[in-house]
Amino acid sequence: MPHRPSATPATLLRLSARRMTYRTSSPSLVTLGLAALLGCTAGPDKPGDSGGAPNTAGDTSAPAGPPAWTPAFETSAAGSLSSVWGSGPDDIWIVGGTEEQAEIYHFDGAAWAPAQAPDLPILAWVTGWGPGAAFAVGRGGGAARFDGAAWTALDTGTTEDLWGCFGFAEDDVWIVGGDADVGEPLILHFDGAGFTEVPLDPAENNRGATTLFKVWGSGGALFAVGQSGLILRYDGAAWRGEAGGPLADQDLISLWGTGPDDITAVGGRSNARIAHFDGAAWTTTAPSALGGLNGISVQGEHEAVVVGVVGYAASLDPATGAREDHPPAATLDLHAVWGDGAGTYTAVGGTFAAPHRGVAIQWRDDR
Amino acid sequence: MSAAPRLLLGLLLGLLGCRGGKDPADSARWPDTAAGGHGPMAEGIFAPLGQPVPFATDAQRAIFDEGIALSGHRFTPAEGLGPAFNLVSCAGCHEKPAVGGSAGRYRNFFLTAEITEDGAYIPGESFGKAGGVMRLYTTGAGLPPRPPVPATTNLFAQRNPIPFFGVGLIAELDQGDILAGADPQDADGDGISGRPNYDRGFVGRFGRKAQTVSIEGFIRGPLNNHLGITSDPLTEDQRAALPVDSSGGAAPDADSLGARWAAPLQPWAQASAPDAPLADNDAVPDPELSGGDLFALVSFAMLTAPMAFAPESTELDDGRVIFDELGCGDCHRPRLMGPRGPLPVYSDLLLHDMGPALADGVRQGEADGAEFRTQPLWGVAAVGPYLHDGRAHSLDEAIRWHGGEGERSGRDYEALPADEQALLIGFLRSLGGAEHESLGLQAPGARLPGVGEAGGPTTALHGAELEDFAAGRLLFDREFGASEGLGAPRFNGDSCRACHFDPVPGGAGPLDVNVMRHGILSSDGRYIPPVVGSVLHRTTSLQGDGLRAQPEATLFEPRQTPTLLGLGLIDGIAEATIAAQADPHDADGDGISGEVSLVDGGRVGRFGWKAQVPSVAEFVRDALSVELGLTLEARAGLSFGQLEDNDGVADPELGPELELQLQRYLLRLGPPPRQRSDDPAAVSRGAATFEALGCAACHSPALEGASGPVPLYSDLLLHDILPEGTVGIEEGSAGGRELRTPPLWGLAHSAPYLHDGAAATLTAAIAGHHGEGAGARAAFDAATPATQADLLRFLETL
Repeated sequence: MPHRPSATPATLLRLSARRMTYRTSSPSLVTLGLAALLGCTAGPDKPGDSGGAPNTAGDTSAPAGPPAWTPAFETSAAGSLSSVWGSGPDDIWIVGGTEEQAEIYHFDGAAWAPAQAPDLPILAWVTGWGPGAAFAVGRGGGAARFDGAAWTALDTGTTEDLWGCFGFAEDDVWIVGGDADVGEPLILHFDGAGFTEVPLDPAENNRGATTLFKVWGSGGALFAVGQSGLILRYDGAAWRGEAGGPLADQDLISLWGTGPDDITAVGGRSNARIAHFDGAAWTTTAPSALGGLNGISVQGEHEAVVVGVVGYAASLDPATGAREDHPPAATLDLHAVWGDGAGTYTAVGGTFAAPHRGVAIQWRDDR
Repeated sequence: MSAAPRLLLGLLLGLLGCRGGKDPADSARWPDTAAGGHGPMAEGIFAPLGQPVPFATDAQRAIFDEGIALSGHRFTPAEGLGPAFNLVSCAGCHEKPAVGGSAGRYRNFFLTAEITEDGAYIPGESFGKAGGVMRLYTTGAGLPPRPPVPATTNLFAQRNPIPFFGVGLIAELDQGDILAGADPQDADGDGISGRPNYDRGFVGRFGRKAQTVSIEGFIRGPLNNHLGITSDPLTEDQRAALPVDSSGGAAPDADSLGARWAAPLQPWAQASAPDAPLADNDAVPDPELSGGDLFALVSFAMLTAPMAFAPESTELDDGRVIFDELGCGDCHRPRLMGPRGPLPVYSDLLLHDMGPALADGVRQGEADGAEFRTQPLWGVAAVGPYLHDGRAHSLDEAIRWHGGEGERSGRDYEALPADEQALLIGFLRSLGGAEHESLGLQAPGARLPGVGEAGGPTTALHGAELEDFAAGRLLFDREFGASEGLGAPRFNGDSCRACHFDPVPGGAGPLDVNVMRHGILSSDGRYIPPVVGSVLHRTTSLQGDGLRAQPEATLFEPRQTPTLLGLGLIDGIAEATIAAQADPHDADGDGISGEVSLVDGGRVGRFGWKAQVPSVAEFVRDALSVELGLTLEARAGLSFGQLEDNDGVADPELGPELELQLQRYLLRLGPPPRQRSDDPAAVSRGAATFEALGCAACHSPALEGASGPVPLYSDLLLHDILPEGTVGIEEGSAGGRELRTPPLWGLAHSAPYLHDGAAATLTAAIAGHHGEGAGARAAFDAATPATQADLLRFLETL
């Protein structure tokens, strides 16, 4: 039988109301700053631009329109862009690169600029704790730390691909990864000084996965998700397999939440999966006619943005699964999205096959 | 047929006089395309079998030729084949009736999965992740020859290769027209509730479960999963240049320039493919297939045309009426509107629940275990067997076995009188391919090779003998169905030709039809055959059977398919002649100690890698029973052959008449013709080298046969030939390291070599000689390059 979004009438009404309040997007100060810096001509004459007239964030008098994503910065020289995270609207990091060289970009509130990346292959994920504290991991066991002044490579002791990282603090960082085809999922812990591999009991790997993709926690809860719908929870002593249900059968790529009883994981490769944890159990759904999702940014119990394959982006109510598809945001796969808490979302993506191409886009939710 | 439709049909036939033809009144029976009827169709889309679509440009025809040649290319381990594989070429699975088609059930493959405790469907592993595809073979040292099936695997389903004639035309369809036929909640109450599958948000259209939209993906995936050949995705430039533009519709770097990030996807974007490069862990650098070769393969698939429909006739009109009356067209929608006009695909490309009997439990995309895409019917006559796992040996069986949403049509078909059933079958056969319809690969009316040609008889045949030989050749090529007793419980081939086809029916076979022998080693090192026998089969007619090896079995040994050409001449060699070659205790001290293989109470074995079979008559019985799973009638004096099984088909499943016909065919099948060389002097020197290096000590150039010398280049004896320490399969009186000296005739067309097919070249085969062959190998190694070259030239003429 077909799988239907489990949207409630109330949710649909709410989303419908939100549609009415969409503002015509415009180049934000961010974009304008970048344009000045990089010579980007983001404007209504740019092919593919939404055509929306320049306006100012907070201008609520403009007519309603669909969510419109605009380029964050010129990416013609960039590799694939994998992840985005920031400590706030004025401190955003984007990581990515190629097989040969990692790339890091930073937004300081005024402009985007490339940062000096350590001599590592492509970085897959970035997280952090504040303006002077960020952490990234990537292919081939690569890891790097930002100390407020520069990015420095760390010796992880592994050459396995590292796909995700999350830390409660700079000295309490969890890293996950593994090979997509063989072996066992890899879990590392970084205590600020060194990395320790944390074993996973094969009996807890209830999907026979060979890799984990992301890790995230809140309020003492810590989860990791990975290949074939694997969901793990750390109980303070060991990682335990969670039951994701019949539809937790595709890769779960990313997760985020508002707290220990409201966490959402997204994934799927060809067909999307959305798994929600309510504090007691996971429930996984498979929205029909929706390609795989790669990234999620949760801003509230009923407010998230998801991105996925072929430039897909949408607003999502994680609690109900109700979805508001955005107009195509890109044609490349989008890998990650991050919201700054002030209404601006940044999404990145690209192709992992050479020649690498990347895309970085932004949308200001003025609703 | 239920009463009402039957009555309706009768009234309709009566009203129209069962004539059809061009009577204007017949237009009433030809509803408009838009209404789901047959109607007119796009012009210029058909081409003769194996040809590109008529509108292909010259450049596209050139790339089509390149692609079709690549389809037939047999990859070797040195080119990246493996490390796990089912096939060595694309054409191995898409061969019937030509490249791009289907294949007999011997090419069925397994999809496996683990259904977890919480109900998730996780594709099974088979020496790595391959989308659930179970692989049968491995390459490379240190790998178990048969990839183990994980203990957690608890779902097994089979797939028969799917034909892809016309897929480029299907790729051109607007997905809106597919969606227009969907009725997921059966709102119209007709019992048919087709729904689309989706792939990355686009409507799926290819595969048994419509699980993909991408022809590029549909080639890269099987290349990786079945051949172990890795590839990178096509570039945007290449995708834009494909016969069906599969690019995103903008310049390759447009994303980075912001030019298309917000542009609507072009309508053809549904044909684009994921971007992930593929990699494996063999020694060959990835990607193992170049971008240019992938482009040619995808182009070839997109350009392959469907076969033309038969001309109109009264009978076809009547069959068409029955097609409509039975509701076949509710799913097998006669037309989908494409950019070139109505496309007579006879499929709605939607998923339908086909009932519990056909359900295989496989979940792909949004398709559940009972749902399958409506299989297009164009060209259907030539691409049997039918249904997703090829269980239907005929169109008749395929219709009868429709369940679920097709249940009513299937039952109504069963209720039809035989002549009306035949009319419907006739109509289906008219949808292309009937002129190529065959129960095997041999085209109807194919020329019979003559004496001296590969596949021809040993001596000139005339009259009844010639007809009998021709009939035997057809029988050798004939594919058997499960309803005829095939494969219960298990089988390797659905025909004799399934394994013996290089270079002609009756010949050798490539790596991907190797037979797998296996066994158990006791704690004290003794060989114990598994309860199913030493053959671990490729497939089975039993639904859900996963062909797991007995858990205790740790010994696996592939067996290359030897040529059968000349078998009759070998059969005529007297036992005493073979025994006279033996020197079991190396009395002459030459280091060669050939032993006679004694089987069945002291008879001399001569056929098979362990000389385990004494005669052609028994070789036929052994192969029919062990390789095809057919039961036979007991015959006095013959000890091979299975007499009964439990598949519900009356035993014997193959009567003595056909068994004897096969036997006569093989007895008459001539030896492989010698190959000409452009350097006879070198060949002559090589023949002398063959003797001088000691090759002829086992590969006796000729043995005296019933009517003169038989130049087989074998003594038909067992020799210890495998490396020291090898623990191999024991059979009859042959020890684990002993193998029969394989005849060398036919060497030019019987690669790969050695008992396990591990040697791709003659040089590698020589290097694989150990034990009693070590001396000859060392002599070859010590020879000058010129002498080695002479020897190889000589061998290539055999």
